[in-house]
Amino acid sequence: MAQQAATKQRIKRIRLEDALNANVWDVDTKPHIIVDSEKCAGCADKACTYLCPGGCFTLLAGKVLYSYEGCLECGTCRVVCPKGAVTWNYPLSGRGVQYRFG
Amino acid sequence: MGLPAKFDVAVVGAGPAGASAAYTLARKGFKVVVLERGRAPGSKNLFGGRVYSRPLERIFEGFRNEAPIERWVKREILSFMTEDGMVSVEYTSNGSTSFTAYLSKLSAWMASKAESAGAVIVTDVRVDDVLMENGRAVGIVSGGDRLYADVVVIAEGVNRLLCEKMNIVTPLSPEDVALGVKHVIRLGTDKINERFGLDSDEGLAWFLVGKATDYMPGGAFLYTNSATVSLGIVVFLSHAVREVKRHVYDVLEDLRASLPFVRLLEGGSLVEYGAHLTPEAGLRMVPRKLYGDGFLIAGDAAGLLINLGYTVRGVDMAAFSGYLAAEAVEEAHSLGGYTSQNLSCYERKLNDSFIMKEMKRHSMVQKLMVKGHVFELYPHVLVGAAKRLFEFEETSPKLLEAVNDSLKGRCSRLRVLLDVVTLMRGP
Ligand SMILES: Cc1cc2nc3c(=O)[nH]c(=O)nc-3n(C[C@H](O)[C@H](O)[C@H](O)COP(=O)(O)OP(=O)(O)OC[C@H]3O[C@@H](n4cnc5c(N)ncnc54)[C@H](O)[C@@H]3O)c2cc1C
Repeated sequence: MAQQAATKQRIKRIRLEDALNANVWDVDTKPHIIVDSEKCAGCADKACTYLCPGGCFTLLAGKVLYSYEGCLECGTCRVVCPKGAVTWNYPLSGRGVQYRFG
Repeated sequence: MGLPAKFDVAVVGAGPAGASAAYTLARKGFKVVVLERGRAPGSKNLFGGRVYSRPLERIFEGFRNEAPIERWVKREILSFMTEDGMVSVEYTSNGSTSFTAYLSKLSAWMASKAESAGAVIVTDVRVDDVLMENGRAVGIVSGGDRLYADVVVIAEGVNRLLCEKMNIVTPLSPEDVALGVKHVIRLGTDKINERFGLDSDEGLAWFLVGKATDYMPGGAFLYTNSATVSLGIVVFLSHAVREVKRHVYDVLEDLRASLPFVRLLEGGSLVEYGAHLTPEAGLRMVPRKLYGDGFLIAGDAAGLLINLGYTVRGVDMAAFSGYLAAEAVEEAHSLGGYTSQNLSCYERKLNDSFIMKEMKRHSMVQKLMVKGHVFELYPHVLVGAAKRLFEFEETSPKLLEAVNDSLKGRCSRLRVLLDVVTLMRGP
């Protein structure tokens, strides 16, 4: 029991924001993700809000808010959107996440 | 772009596929340009962490001595995980057929080899279109700039936006790909050696299925590099879109913060968090034709990857397909030009190589894996049997009794038999 408690204590969660901050970034000033909110409104599941690993898609009062700053450039949002509401491309001029390890 | 107006070959993407194609072509005397969207080769690349060496040794001279190899894999673990416990199979050996690595560094190294061989590498360039004239590829377009080449090697990776624009493939669907997210955690060489029972040049490749991904098809992985550990999860999007119950980051964080990882990685610091898609559909994702008038497709863009459940082969397949694309270019050149017909030798080369043979040989594993039950059922059966076997009070069960007890109520023996038959059946 004592050991379990000790283990529990050691567990420090890393928040997604802090994980993203471990990376090197050169974020573009122009967005490379655009969501058509009309198409988006017709989707019940909103899988993007669970599956975007950068947390770029969040729910607020039933609507999806999106940003491109934490984008890890994987392309998941485009693939999981059942409505084709996501226009996504790679950032220009080498902007965005800079993987040092990968 | 301030470059010569015309090249023999333009390669899109400086990942393993593109860099291998460029290196091989430059050594054959072709004027090659590589266009890479990243600031430097490698800066947009991310993978799990283990590479099979032999195909790369066939492509790159001096590979074993020069490449940025972290550790040679000497220890393999495959674990089945549930809330109740974990059953693992472990294999240790003295072989050196695969090594751990960082894909950013490995890609950068490959690109530098291509550059030394004479290829021109242009970074910060996102190719927007393959330039077509009269139905044949004649170069690339980026922003307003055009660059002409006699033949284009498309090695743009899994998202394959260019192939999609060219109508060679349909847009990716969740059935085609899996999402991988990964932490790189710095722990220091000594701690890694101590905690994972390794020598400095020995690596561990660890694959986990079951609870590690909330039972979604895919798996978790841990690879030891020299001074860091790569810990990640892969989830098939086909299932994840329906089954994911919480943010995918939390699935990874939960794994890191649970036993045994929280102990193994204690005191480590997170140095990178990244994500990437990976082909997952086996032969289904391979375009009908991997060549056309003036172009060839290699690597992930061509869907050439196999996931066997306990190991992933992507980098070696991508690199070798790039190498074969280069050979095909040379052959087409000697035949008089880069027509679709002359470039069709690429398909023959792929079929004759380990790439398509492996893709076909293992197609049943991929069929089995997309049946979601495998990732939920077998971890429970195995952990259940182990629990029966090892946690008894007075009467200890026989081995088969333990397995039977564990199967009971979970599934019929017929189910297991059917899965085994699926696995055994050839393509
Ligand atoms: C989570 C995960 C774990 C994996 N684990 C392993 C593993 O352990 N072992 C293994 O062997 N394989 C693994 N793989 C697979 C492996 O990473 C890939 O198969 C391999 O990287 C494919 O190489 P590629 O050159 O085809 O594509 P990529 O490595 O994706 O390279 C494509 C390149 O093209 C560039 N590019 C793309 N579009 C453009 C454009 N329009 N203009 C200019 N440049 C462009 C990109 O920036 C990139 O540099 C894993 C993959 C993932 C996602």
